[in-house]
Amino acid sequence: MRTRIVSATPPVAVVLAALLAPPICAQPVHDLVLKGGHVIDTANEIDGVMDIAVKGETIVRIAESIDVSGAGKVVDVSGLYVAPGFVDLHAHPYLCNSGPLFPDDVWLTTGTTTLVACGDAGWRNFDDFKAKIIDRSKARVLAFINIVGKGIAGMEAEHDISDMDPKKTAAKILEHPDLIVGIKTAHYGNPDWIAIDRSIEAGRLTDRPIIVDSGILTNTGRTTREKVLDKFRPGDMHTHFYNDRQVEVLSRFGGKVQPYMWEARRRGVLFDMGHGAGSFLWPVASKAMADGFPPDTISTDLHQKSVRAGAPDMPNCISKMMLLGMPLAEAIHRSTVTPAESINKFPEIGTLGEGETADIAVLKMEQGIFAFKDAWGKKKMGSRRVRAVMTVREGEIVFDEDGLGFPLWTESGEYDKIP
Amino acid sequence: MTRFVRNAFIVIGLAAWTASAPLAAQEIIDILLKNGHVIDPHNERNGRFDIAIKGEKIHRVGKDLPASHAKKVIDLGEYYVTPGLIDLHTHFDAYGAWLNLQPDHHALTNGVTTAVDAGSSGHKGFEEFKAGTIDKSKTRVLALLNIVGAGMYGPEVEDDPEQMDVEATVRMVKKHPEIIVGIKTAHYEPVNWIAIDRAREAAEKSNTVLMVDFRPKPDRGYRELLLEHMRPGDLHTHVYSQRFDWLDENNKVKSYMWEARKKGILFDVGHGNGSFYFRKAVPAIKQGFLPDTISTDIHKRSIMLPRANMATTMSKFLNMGLTLEQIVERTTVAPAKAIRRTELGTLSEGAEADIAVFRLREGEFGFLDSGRSKMIGNKKLFCVLTVRKGEIVWDTEGLAATEFTQAGPYTNFR
Repeated sequence: MRTRIVSATPPVAVVLAALLAPPICAQPVHDLVLKGGHVIDTANEIDGVMDIAVKGETIVRIAESIDVSGAGKVVDVSGLYVAPGFVDLHAHPYLCNSGPLFPDDVWLTTGTTTLVACGDAGWRNFDDFKAKIIDRSKARVLAFINIVGKGIAGMEAEHDISDMDPKKTAAKILEHPDLIVGIKTAHYGNPDWIAIDRSIEAGRLTDRPIIVDSGILTNTGRTTREKVLDKFRPGDMHTHFYNDRQVEVLSRFGGKVQPYMWEARRRGVLFDMGHGAGSFLWPVASKAMADGFPPDTISTDLHQKSVRAGAPDMPNCISKMMLLGMPLAEAIHRSTVTPAESINKFPEIGTLGEGETADIAVLKMEQGIFAFKDAWGKKKMGSRRVRAVMTVREGEIVFDEDGLGFPLWTESGEYDKIP
Repeated sequence: MTRFVRNAFIVIGLAAWTASAPLAAQEIIDILLKNGHVIDPHNERNGRFDIAIKGEKIHRVGKDLPASHAKKVIDLGEYYVTPGLIDLHTHFDAYGAWLNLQPDHHALTNGVTTAVDAGSSGHKGFEEFKAGTIDKSKTRVLALLNIVGAGMYGPEVEDDPEQMDVEATVRMVKKHPEIIVGIKTAHYEPVNWIAIDRAREAAEKSNTVLMVDFRPKPDRGYRELLLEHMRPGDLHTHVYSQRFDWLDENNKVKSYMWEARKKGILFDVGHGNGSFYFRKAVPAIKQGFLPDTISTDIHKRSIMLPRANMATTMSKFLNMGLTLEQIVERTTVAPAKAIRRTELGTLSEGAEADIAVFRLREGEFGFLDSGRSKMIGNKKLFCVLTVRKGEIVWDTEGLAATEFTQAGPYTNFR
């Protein structure tokens, strides 16, 4: 597990502000303090009960006990887990053959503060996507740009090689270098490597990774081995890898992870969950996990179909990995740090480091009897479930299922003004 | 469905029931929902019943229906079973104005099988709404057409009487009578009655219901709206908003509210981002002033902190003292009657199989209102399974799912 240590001392500015502040301060010391939660922030090697203080949009302090006098809002989150807001590498907030979903009502309500549109738009419609969805959402929406100019615009468009232009794609990436983090190719089923080759070309031109969804089977003449060993560069990603119709993870005979998968992992090729409505299958995932081959990044592939089928939001995917033996802290690491690293956005996202944007997920671990459905609707029963109960985005509580951060109606005085 | 046909169904149903014939031996049932606690106010059922679904219809409701001839049997002993709910106030013109949401994700997951869009579009945008969302959704999406031709695109159009064309609105209602069930007026700020009067005129001329979202002003009072500008059967939505002066200084419900109710005005919840306050609802309910219909006004903002989805909104009323039966009545029969679609909101034999299944959890739960203030309650409803037109469209507890080890080979790898 790669980690990055961030200094535990408060930034100089905060110390100075505290020293210089007059006794009665017009501005609260902290705008928001989450008190007494079990913080899991693997980037900073924190796994224990800690307080988190937020000022404006920024995390200013994590410590065992933070003085809350003068704080704007103090929320008791004892008994709950607190993690960095999740980073979902495989989202569909703009275009998807199964219908897209909107960012805030789907992702912010499930602890996910950063979502990456996985090829929804290409260079032709990225600006429309940005205007209609990215700029209007409270969630941080990033994008893998589709190598197809029209994006995910149906199977016909996705097989039109004349619309796969690495140069135009690269130009669009360089126009929005902060938003576009890589290149996606999806659904390409012709027996050649054109879609992947052109995606890699766009990736070379812009120094960005590609993420691949491709229904390649051995009997098409293109093997998984060739794809992940000869084609992919270190840092390139294959999504949907627990679906054995795209990546043959397991030997059909011995049930063991294929040697080329281990070799690809050693080379730095990344495997992303991309659960969706077809790509997380219990027989594959359970055998691969039993053999020690977890996903590098946990992601949802949420769209209008998957959201009601396996309902694979980030806490659901994390719960499923726990059911296969992954510890909670590791599942959180693979939902925050590794996805942020894979798109070169670490450490500004994926951590609770002091000085970083206050994107925070508060989670409840529930005990009971739960059925977890895979992408094909088959279930595996489990006795633990992680559920998002509160989300903070840029320092603001944007979702709070049980109203932990708000006063009782009988004691609240004047109500907040609602626009 | 005409009243005659419905009555005919009831007669046939009664005849079948009084004969109390068991399922015919050769009959194959698609889904048998076994032993759930059924609350079906339309048929005055509140107790343990089995429900047999065949194709798209409810085939039989009764005690101890045999499981042997059902393709799928789901044991609902731990759950409540209700007719698919009707949410009278939604915003599901997903590709229209920004605040709208997608229906299937937000309705079906909450047991809502019929969502009435409350004026997101007007006569100019309705057909785009229909083609882009209504026709593509599994949810039955009905609509109240906005008297503003452009729909809910902000004060520039919503405050403009030029946008309020009665004839064009009526034409559009008559063109799509199976979808458009009434007229909506909303957000109108100018201090006159033009929007309300034109909307009512369009409702009159199209023989449909009127739903009003109202902004009271010193010279345009709420009492006047209810008693002089609305017809019996018309709906006022957002009743528990802070805007209205119907609680006196002692928190007593003023007499004009009772008078309006007596006249036949219907009061709808329309929770929304700014229209549901415990400090209005709690005293009103204590005095017996219950809403006629419980609805969400679900949209991109109301779904976030106030959690204005159907299951949470119903749970708020459960914790304010309404019985589950009262709540189900206000989310099935009452809204069906309000929009004159009484074939909906029922588990009658022969009706389209729209069914919701809920788990009632006990524990400590917090509920936020539109003022971001909370009530602590000890009960909460969770929708676990939804059937729409005979198809299981939501099953969060995997009640109808097969364990993967029992599923046979479904991957290349066995």
